[in-house]
Amino acid sequence: MTKPKISSDWMAGCSGCHMSLLDIDERLLEIAELADIRATPITDLKEPDESGVDVGILEGGINNSSNEEVAHRMRERSKILVAFGDCAVFGGVPALRNMCGTQEALQRAYVDIESNDESGKIPNDPELAVMSNVRALHEVVDVDLHVPGCPPDPDVIYYVLKELAQGRMPEMKDENLHWH
Amino acid sequence: MINLTINGKQIEVEDGTTVLNAARQNDIKIPTLCDHKNLTPYGGCRLCVVEVKGMRVPIASCTLPASNGMVIETETDSLKKSRNIILSLLFSERNHFCPFCQVSGGDCELQNAAYDEHMTHWQMQPQWTNFPVDTSHSRFILDNNRCILCRRCIRACAEMSGNFTLGVEERGSATIVVADTNVPLGESTCVSCGSCVQVCPTGALIDRSSAYLGHDKNMTVTRSVCRGCSLGCGIMIHTRDNRIVKITGDYENKNAGTLCETGRYKTLDEKRTRLTTPMKRVAGQLTATSWDDALTILASNLTSNKNSIAALASTRLTVESMAAFKSLFADGLGNDVVTSIEEGRPTALQAKYAEANGESIEGKLDTLRTADCVLVIGADLSETHEVASFYIKRNMPKGTRLIVVDPSENGMDDLANINLKPKAGTDEAVFDAIEAAVIKEGLARTDAKTSKVSLDVALSACGLAEEDVIAVAHMLAEAVAPVIVYGKGVSAFGGEAVMDAMVRVAKLTGASDSERRGILSVKGEANSLAAAQLKMDVPFDVKNRKVAYLAVGDDFVSKRLVKALDDIPYVIVQASYESALTERADLVLPVSIWAEEAGHALNTEGRVQFAEAALTGPEGVRSNLDLLNEVAKLLNVKLNDDWRTALTARTSVVEIEM
Repeated sequence: MTKPKISSDWMAGCSGCHMSLLDIDERLLEIAELADIRATPITDLKEPDESGVDVGILEGGINNSSNEEVAHRMRERSKILVAFGDCAVFGGVPALRNMCGTQEALQRAYVDIESNDESGKIPNDPELAVMSNVRALHEVVDVDLHVPGCPPDPDVIYYVLKELAQGRMPEMKDENLHWH
Repeated sequence: MINLTINGKQIEVEDGTTVLNAARQNDIKIPTLCDHKNLTPYGGCRLCVVEVKGMRVPIASCTLPASNGMVIETETDSLKKSRNIILSLLFSERNHFCPFCQVSGGDCELQNAAYDEHMTHWQMQPQWTNFPVDTSHSRFILDNNRCILCRRCIRACAEMSGNFTLGVEERGSATIVVADTNVPLGESTCVSCGSCVQVCPTGALIDRSSAYLGHDKNMTVTRSVCRGCSLGCGIMIHTRDNRIVKITGDYENKNAGTLCETGRYKTLDEKRTRLTTPMKRVAGQLTATSWDDALTILASNLTSNKNSIAALASTRLTVESMAAFKSLFADGLGNDVVTSIEEGRPTALQAKYAEANGESIEGKLDTLRTADCVLVIGADLSETHEVASFYIKRNMPKGTRLIVVDPSENGMDDLANINLKPKAGTDEAVFDAIEAAVIKEGLARTDAKTSKVSLDVALSACGLAEEDVIAVAHMLAEAVAPVIVYGKGVSAFGGEAVMDAMVRVAKLTGASDSERRGILSVKGEANSLAAAQLKMDVPFDVKNRKVAYLAVGDDFVSKRLVKALDDIPYVIVQASYESALTERADLVLPVSIWAEEAGHALNTEGRVQFAEAALTGPEGVRSNLDLLNEVAKLLNVKLNDDWRTALTARTSVVEIEM
């Protein structure tokens, strides 16, 4: 039997979920034994195989056209799509800007911020991705498994990866279910 | 009894039980949010919906009375789906992002409910609307963004503290919790009791002092008794790393979780400097010394002045400490000035009266729960015994009427149906006038035909208007269960005659009869009644005494008391904090504070309660009781440690329940 392929990527998040993934420490080797770890932000390969992967994992919410692309690409190329961490699951901390709207958030961050001088301006290069409200992953594409947590606990990540690597769907409840 | 079936199980419950409580009594778990065991069912969150055979739609079980033959299901797939949707809707209404919420991670009932339903995400995303955050209050913060509109806080404000400050404004999902007519909480009629914070299931109401200092699971909770006043409310002390994080009301005690600002917050405002080493006066200066040295000085001093000691103890000490103190200085060393810091002002009069008549005239605080008319005299309950004022206030919407008799301004004046402002020091005449008015109007509930003094004489003595007193007579005597509450204003300045007059009025109006004792006094500090029972209720007369021994513990000391020590050659102070008194002292012995000592307290209604120690004292301090025992040993005095017998040696003004 060939090992299931796992790929991951990150969007509007802080990369903390991937740091928590690294915190499973030596158990990473165990996962690497069970699964074929393909493209991730922390491996050399940057995009999930065009031929598809078994499990796609996405950290972060979706806050612009670039994130949307990443989400759609991962959805198309994976059999099981995992929303990884509170931002992917709920929108998380970045989604707080939805409370005031993107324009006001940009104005505050680039122009009105106390550390700025007169020259502060909102970046408007046409090559930049188009910003949007921050959305949870399941608002943009279908999600098969939600792993909440800010970040998810390494033990939870280990459990989830181990189950997925062995072709089982993890049960997200009790000790494995934490949103914060 | 009612018979019903829940999840196929035959169940029998008392009449009037809700389906939710019937399930609980039989260990069937139905998830809830707005329900709270100490508050009236509300039926707001709908999380407790159940299926009732024969009913068209699921029904909230918290407000559904169980009836015979009901067949209930609580765990069908359709109900689980409903709960999931209900929770999703709750999450979608406000900002319920958990990572930066103080209660997330164990203390949030909303989050826990979602976990219980195995919710990994929200079906609906939030509506991204900002709701107001009220940070104007000095004790807590109201964040409407975290609110699920369960209205527990509103019910607690009304049903626990009787304050009716909190309410809602707007409708539907725009509804917000507001104070009064939507004024900032800090400028509202809020009395800062904090019951709303204690009952809040989410992070919508959080304490400034305890927020982000840890979850309940990280804290040790110790069951204790508030030492703020004589009511003896049950408290839970939450500690972490030998430090009090917060105090909450004990739902299992008589106060059913209700506390006032003093009990919940003020106790933690302590700013005084702690004493941690014994000190003696050397060349006019207080100088640190060892316990051995301090105790040697103490022993020689007390031995040579055995019978010339004036001794005073705080009524915040445990009953054990107070009884040991009395036994040491009065019985052991033979002194007659062995008293409490209150010097009997709130208790001596009624104690003498009860002893002389061989009768306990006072009832229990519970009589306030059923009282439909309360006369308060000589006490500003909202200042000194606030939870007692809550017991009265929360019944007022049900028609309980309030009469406040106070020559000066009283915190309950605004609520009173009748305010009587007699001349100061004329309480006896006030009672005489009420007695005469009751008889004149033919309202007497005994066969008394004549009053002690005529109405005119009594009125001119107290300076009240006839119509007011007549109105009071009607209100009291026509009530089903009237209660008279009196305080230090009566006992500190009145004589036996005022007690007589009060008891006559109580009998005449039906407040007291063979069945019921509708007289209460609130007395003073935590162990005020114990001081009276131990006869530590005499003036602190230090004239011609050579030594004064003051065991003040963590109590506050009045300037008057310090001044009284001017002519005493040697002053020994057993205290927890630096004060003007320790500055005056010749020998200072550092002791533990209330939360560091286990022991009993006797509340104003004669209930003996045990308080566990919640903290370990700093190195170098001793417990009040240990120190007294040690002093007794040094002086070869055998202490009587049977404090229970000591407390009941004299007839008490209220029955003492051991």
